[in-house]
Amino acid sequence: MKKIFIIAGIVIIVIAAILIYISKRPPEVVEIAFWTTETQSDRMKTIQLLMDTFQALNSDITVKLVPVDENDMPSQMAAASAAKNLPGLIEGSSELILAFGEEGIFDIKGATKMVKEIGKDRFYQGALKMVESPDPGNFYGLPYHGWVQGIWYRADWFDEAGLAPPNTWENILKAAKTFYKPEENQYGILIGTKAENYAEQCFTHFALSNGGAEFNSKGDLIFNSKEILETLEYYAELAKYNPPGPHTWRARDYYLQGKMAMFFYSTYIMDDLALAEVAAGSLTNENYSELKGSTFDPKLVDNTRIATTITKTRPGGYGSMVALGLVDQDNSAKNEAAQKLLSFLYEPSSYIIFLHMSPGGMNPMLRDIAGKPEYLNDPNGIFKRYGREKIEEITAGLDSMGSFTVVNGKTFPASGRIFAKQIIPRMIYKVTIDGMDPKDAIVWAEKQMKEVIGS
Amino acid sequence: MNKHAGLFNKMPISIEQRESRLGWKLIAPSLGVIGLLIIYPILYNIYLSFFDVKLTGEKFFIGLANYEKLLQDTAFYGSVLTTIIFLIGTVVGSTLIGLLVALLMNLQFPFRNVARAIILLPYFAPIISVVFGWQFIFDPVNGIYNHVMVEVLHVTDQRHNLIGDPHTALLVVIIFDIWRHFPISCLLIISKLQSINRDQYEAAAIDGCGPLGRFFHVTLPEIYFVLGTLVILRLIWNINKFEDVFLLAPNVQTLPIFTYYAAFTGIIDQGFAATISVVQFLFLSFLIYFYVKKVLKW
Amino acid sequence: MIGKRSFLQNIFLALAVGSVLFICLFPFIQILSTSLKHQFDWGNPSLIPMKINLEAYRELLGFGKMKDAPIPDTIKRLLDNPLITEKKKDEIISKYRSTGDVFPFPRYFLNTFILSASAASISLILAVFGAYSFSRLRFKGRSTIQRSILFVYMVGGVMLMVPLYQMSVKAGLTKTVWGSLLSLLLIYIIQTLPVSLYMLGNYFRTIPYSLEEAAATDGCSRIEAIFFIILPLSAPMLVTVFVYCFIIAWNEFLFASVFIKQFHDFHTLPLALQSLFVSKNAIWDRIMSASMLTLLPVIFCFMFVMRNLTGGLTAGGVKE
Repeated sequence: MKKIFIIAGIVIIVIAAILIYISKRPPEVVEIAFWTTETQSDRMKTIQLLMDTFQALNSDITVKLVPVDENDMPSQMAAASAAKNLPGLIEGSSELILAFGEEGIFDIKGATKMVKEIGKDRFYQGALKMVESPDPGNFYGLPYHGWVQGIWYRADWFDEAGLAPPNTWENILKAAKTFYKPEENQYGILIGTKAENYAEQCFTHFALSNGGAEFNSKGDLIFNSKEILETLEYYAELAKYNPPGPHTWRARDYYLQGKMAMFFYSTYIMDDLALAEVAAGSLTNENYSELKGSTFDPKLVDNTRIATTITKTRPGGYGSMVALGLVDQDNSAKNEAAQKLLSFLYEPSSYIIFLHMSPGGMNPMLRDIAGKPEYLNDPNGIFKRYGREKIEEITAGLDSMGSFTVVNGKTFPASGRIFAKQIIPRMIYKVTIDGMDPKDAIVWAEKQMKEVIGS
Repeated sequence: MNKHAGLFNKMPISIEQRESRLGWKLIAPSLGVIGLLIIYPILYNIYLSFFDVKLTGEKFFIGLANYEKLLQDTAFYGSVLTTIIFLIGTVVGSTLIGLLVALLMNLQFPFRNVARAIILLPYFAPIISVVFGWQFIFDPVNGIYNHVMVEVLHVTDQRHNLIGDPHTALLVVIIFDIWRHFPISCLLIISKLQSINRDQYEAAAIDGCGPLGRFFHVTLPEIYFVLGTLVILRLIWNINKFEDVFLLAPNVQTLPIFTYYAAFTGIIDQGFAATISVVQFLFLSFLIYFYVKKVLKW
Repeated sequence: MIGKRSFLQNIFLALAVGSVLFICLFPFIQILSTSLKHQFDWGNPSLIPMKINLEAYRELLGFGKMKDAPIPDTIKRLLDNPLITEKKKDEIISKYRSTGDVFPFPRYFLNTFILSASAASISLILAVFGAYSFSRLRFKGRSTIQRSILFVYMVGGVMLMVPLYQMSVKAGLTKTVWGSLLSLLLIYIIQTLPVSLYMLGNYFRTIPYSLEEAAATDGCSRIEAIFFIILPLSAPMLVTVFVYCFIIAWNEFLFASVFIKQFHDFHTLPLALQSLFVSKNAIWDRIMSASMLTLLPVIFCFMFVMRNLTGGLTAGGVKE
């Protein structure tokens, strides 16, 4: 019996000790948080190394690295703002940066100052445009890296079936139909149908190739248009050749298992495919011959190609730019610490380490970095293995990269707010899964967009 | 407390008073915690439902606007309907299956105690873990459910995404919830079954009752009360169910999930969320009242 | 006596029991099976892995081989800075090399354990006195208290979600990680306190009054009676209630996700598992082995107190 009391006593003492310890901790160092959307553990590891190095160089600053899922970023930010626990620096897609910029949580002066310090001319101007505030010359954030989206496909299957690469609406639909064999547990394509950002990314790619837009250059909402309706109808048709049910990027597993012909993904997949290759290498061929229900092909990487440009009425490329945003923390010491961290991340030595987390996937936003030999010599040798040509083929999309946020050189931050509220993904879910009529869905989406803009 | 001031010692204040004081002293900490963290929040919730509450804690009095908004929201009625289907499915399912398994487990067979322990596992295992097991079972491409349905039994010729498809997700959630909760119904029924006197069965057998007759004439009247309790308790618990539904299929919006989405995601509106909770609370109070009056008979 | 079962009836009984057990256990078997499979094997409907894959367990438990992969030149160059001491450099490199960062299971385990054990202990201590009070002492208001406890015991956590969050924000607790943890601890206490009171109250009533009266004539005070008579007699029940509360806290997800989602180092296992699932680290074998490891302590506790627990639950009703 006594034991129970002893245990209870110990527990209470421990709790008390912890509480005392916490209250006595000296607050001499500036503590900031860095939120990143790179949630994969190997990337976290590299970013953590950068943070550790930064802290070793700045002993008066501690940085807490926090991975936040991109879809979760807006609600996490709202919660942090409510809890008065905002991060100092965030890394997220330009749409999110615009959305947060509009909500007024950013240190715009700081960001603009940093752009000047790093050198306005060193940035790709198109990228810088994507994070410009409505007040010209002022910035919500700083472009950090960009990725290109494409359709990854089984070139060997396409050759066998005598199909053209999936670079036009027609070719894509035809291929999706051809390879859709549900009775053999094989599917044509993966496009996003779950109400998550991935769906918007796939959709935007098609919309841009059909001249669809959210805003015209005057800033009027023109989402309810013939172009968007055509895109949505096409998208709904294409979604029939998806694996059953709503899906997001996670279903790329099925491609790696050889059960799918095409899927939308960023150029990030390169290292994932390479990884699969390594995993496969540890198994002997005998294992494969016995496999049932699994057709992992060790040659998968060689047989995979990418189409980054889709054409309907015009060639459309889609990519996303990831930017860094400085959050106004109501505390000048904290704001300065965040600026220091930001400029550290742009130093070539740390910048290249960051980009090498995904060679070919994360492309530099400073012109002078791309040509550096250190940059082209990545540790896994991916640039070398795939060769310059393939890399260029992939990054070609960066030039024609469009988005809903910039129209004729003008930035519309409202588009970022629409993105953050996931209106397009929800519209896609309604049409592809709930079976709503595309016309009605667009009217619904337009109404939601107006609410967001109006608020 | 004085060591020699025993229980029945004559003291200036009476035993009753002393006992009463001690009683209040001992219960006070618990009452304090419950009052501060349960009773007060319930009242505070009602208060909040009349406000537009920002996540930052700023509030603006808006009267009954939240209630008006709620009553005009078609998604709310959808959610009520989902909740009702969920409740009927799980309550009937877990009670009936609990009863059947209890009858089975009440028979004599070797390792009966081990078997009784094993069936409790779904109830105690962390939801989060078992949810992943279930999701994998129903994975449209790799899951065993589709393999069995399509390739072994040829029930359908196409694979289905039962959890992803909003039309069937509720069904899977109901089955999942029954799987998780029939053990506890079963346990409570078994303990009642064990208290039934064997003589009653023998008497019924002499009267010419078959196994089914014995069940209806002896067993059922005895466990009738337990079954009633189970139904009402399960109703009360399942109105509050969050994790079982949200983690398995976030697209099934029963009231708690509807509240959660309003409170913490998308266009955050905590005042509105409070309003949904109040409505849910009223319904719950009614059930509890019913339970107390009819079952506990206070 | 009702007649003996025939052979056929026995077969039928065995089949029925077997299938009930199979249904109960199948998801667990599926978790175990997938946790041991390589990726190429997922689509294989057989539950037995083609080739056992322990990599995920090794990774989660931190037994991974130290990856002595060469440090990339770019990193070497970055660290080649006179401002960074050699010691710091080694620290940074070794942190970079250490595996198990995907899902630091031991850390999450400890977080969950400390939180659940503290909540269960505090709740138990409060409940011992509270339950003793309303189950064995006669005073005015006693039955009201008993009924209110029954009532709050049926109010679910979801209904308190918004007000409790608002209260914490107002009290400034959500600003810091420790404040958030304190909120969570308090919430776990109130989630378990009513059921502890209820279960213990019911149990205390079964202890004969004569024992306490005898102690009283020996000069024991009531408080002493609690410590020397009631508690020793209820030891098994105390352990049961503790474990029951512990399991409730161990499995809790909703409030953890509301309060400590941002503080990754302090995630509890259910929250960490869910975060892992939605992150890009989600690989089935990893998720399943993490699930398995989260399950094990509960199964262990469960076996430990099974006998009393079933008795306590039937006596005290159940709380979810």
